Amino acid sequence: MIVRRFLVPLVAAILVVGACGGDPPPPPAPPPGPDMDSLRAYQDSVRRAEEAARAEAARLAAERAAEAERQRAAAAARATLEEMVFFDYDISEVRDDAATVLRAKVDILRASPQVRIRIEGHADERGATEYNLALGNRRAEAIRQFLTGFGLSENRFEIVSFGEGRPLAQGSNEGSWARNRRGQFVITAGANAINPAE
Amino acid sequence: MLMALTVSVLLMTGSAEARGQQTDQIPGVSLGLVYAESYLPALAVKPFSSTFGGVGLASEVEAIVAQDLRYSDRFEVMDSLPAGLIGDQLDYTLWDRLGAVWLVTGQLESAGEDFVFAAELHDVVYGELRESGRFRIPAQSDEDFRMVVHRVSDEIVRWATGEQGMAASRIAFTMTDSEGNKDVHLIDSDGLNLTRLTDFGSLLESPSWSPDGRKVAYTSWRSGYPRIYEMNVATGSERMLAAVRGAGDYITPAYHPDGRTLAFSVLGSDARSGIFTYDFERDCCLAYLSGGPWYDFSPTYSPDGRWIAFNTQRFGDAVPQVMLMPSEGGSAETLSPYEYGSGGYFTAPDWSPNSDLVAFHGRIERGRYHVLVASLEDDGRVLRQLTTEGNNEDPSWAPDGRHLVFVGERSWGYGLFVVDVGTGRIRSLIAGRRVGVPDWSPALQAR
Repeated sequence: MIVRRFLVPLVAAILVVGACGGDPPPPPAPPPGPDMDSLRAYQDSVRRAEEAARAEAARLAAERAAEAERQRAAAAARATLEEMVFFDYDISEVRDDAATVLRAKVDILRASPQVRIRIEGHADERGATEYNLALGNRRAEAIRQFLTGFGLSENRFEIVSFGEGRPLAQGSNEGSWARNRRGQFVITAGANAINPAE
Repeated sequence: MLMALTVSVLLMTGSAEARGQQTDQIPGVSLGLVYAESYLPALAVKPFSSTFGGVGLASEVEAIVAQDLRYSDRFEVMDSLPAGLIGDQLDYTLWDRLGAVWLVTGQLESAGEDFVFAAELHDVVYGELRESGRFRIPAQSDEDFRMVVHRVSDEIVRWATGEQGMAASRIAFTMTDSEGNKDVHLIDSDGLNLTRLTDFGSLLESPSWSPDGRKVAYTSWRSGYPRIYEMNVATGSERMLAAVRGAGDYITPAYHPDGRTLAFSVLGSDARSGIFTYDFERDCCLAYLSGGPWYDFSPTYSPDGRWIAFNTQRFGDAVPQVMLMPSEGGSAETLSPYEYGSGGYFTAPDWSPNSDLVAFHGRIERGRYHVLVASLEDDGRVLRQLTTEGNNEDPSWAPDGRHLVFVGERSWGYGLFVVDVGTGRIRSLIAGRRVGVPDWSPALQAR
């Protein structure tokens, strides 16, 4: 630490010399005498500055982490809002596994009052085309009623049926049909105001 | 299980070989014909002649007429005979010996840019001319050429039977493209002249002809929501049903036979769901006919416009039924054979244009869907099953009230088929394309 005390004026002197270009260096200032108060004050200022820098770095890191967490949570919440639910063949009743998915949406929607959702109902290809339009609508309606049953306002949801017209999977087999009879969720407002469940 | 209904004995339809065989009984449903199968009189077409050397055109007209008469399923049309064998003179004895009951003759005459076709129908048994007529025919290059000849065929059918034919008609249906979008396509009754009517690159369902055959209504999703539009077939101009009364799916349009009123369904509305009518001509006067927390949809008018048959989900999931109600609204009764708890799946009704027959399709056995016809005369207690192969959906009546077009799913894919409810004959209209919801036009008049 003593070294630093003498180093600082020396550096200052070199800087002065540098600034003067080619002139001969002036005689060095006499080294100051030991001044414990100013030394302490100096050391304190250094410590405070370093602490402040560390605190600021930590604050920034925490902020970044919080923002990342907030984004991650929002993305997770959005993914939860958009998660599809599936139905049994020719049935519009909400299945138990679908109810779990919908229940998670309810909590997010409560925490995100600006978010509005379009619920899309779909059917598999079996059965009459027009009947499947009605079936898709009934599925979307069943989802809407499930959600509003938890006190969410009806005007936050609109429903639309696509019948069998927009399949996810193209095959004519049970695996494809099971994927195609579904409810899908489109966020129509408040997409940047999604808050995770409290 | 369907409730037990009258089960009568059964004619297998679909193929000539199988006809007449007995088959396993399906409770509640009789396999068989809607009209009693009867003897079909043999009809011969004498090679058409030409007064100006237009042999190619004459034989083209002859080919179209002969095919139309075959497709009418009212005659056994005899194979054509070489002109040299027949001679120019009309010799009833010769035709009688060949087994003909009816004989069609025709002569093409030049008339400026166009032609005149003089057609005659002869009763060979009585050895006399039954009817004759002269028809203006455009040049073969004219886009209306085939339709004009189809009208001649329908006139010949009328001469012979006194009944409306269906050659001069088209079928509207959806076809799915490689991106999964659907558009309205049209095809002539003989399976030719496939044309595309709409090109929206979106989802579209339920094309429905106006009674004058000039417009087609349908539901399109291109605004993001299903809404009903009406397109003029000749001009391509389009308008949307103005009666949008808030949220909901606007689907399944059907014209009243007077052409002024459109019936349709609104589902999932924040107000009322069910069947509505609207004065499409005056763009006003919305009326609510039926519905409730359940869903009613797919309306179809009786020929006199006094009744509507429709599909309902009021009995719950998975048991859609066909019901009837007055077209001004009122209490509804079930047409399809439903009793509480008995199940049964009956959808897509279409009322015959000239009788008390309502066609629909139902799930019959092992998850198979087949085309069925119910007669109001026996309160729908006997269903006639007209298909036995694959899955079959969405029947629509031809203007002759005896043919139905429907979507068939076979091991090789999808197609449109035509069944004659008099003979049980089935023919393919278009095969190997992803087609849906066909609607057969009324008899098309000259433009």
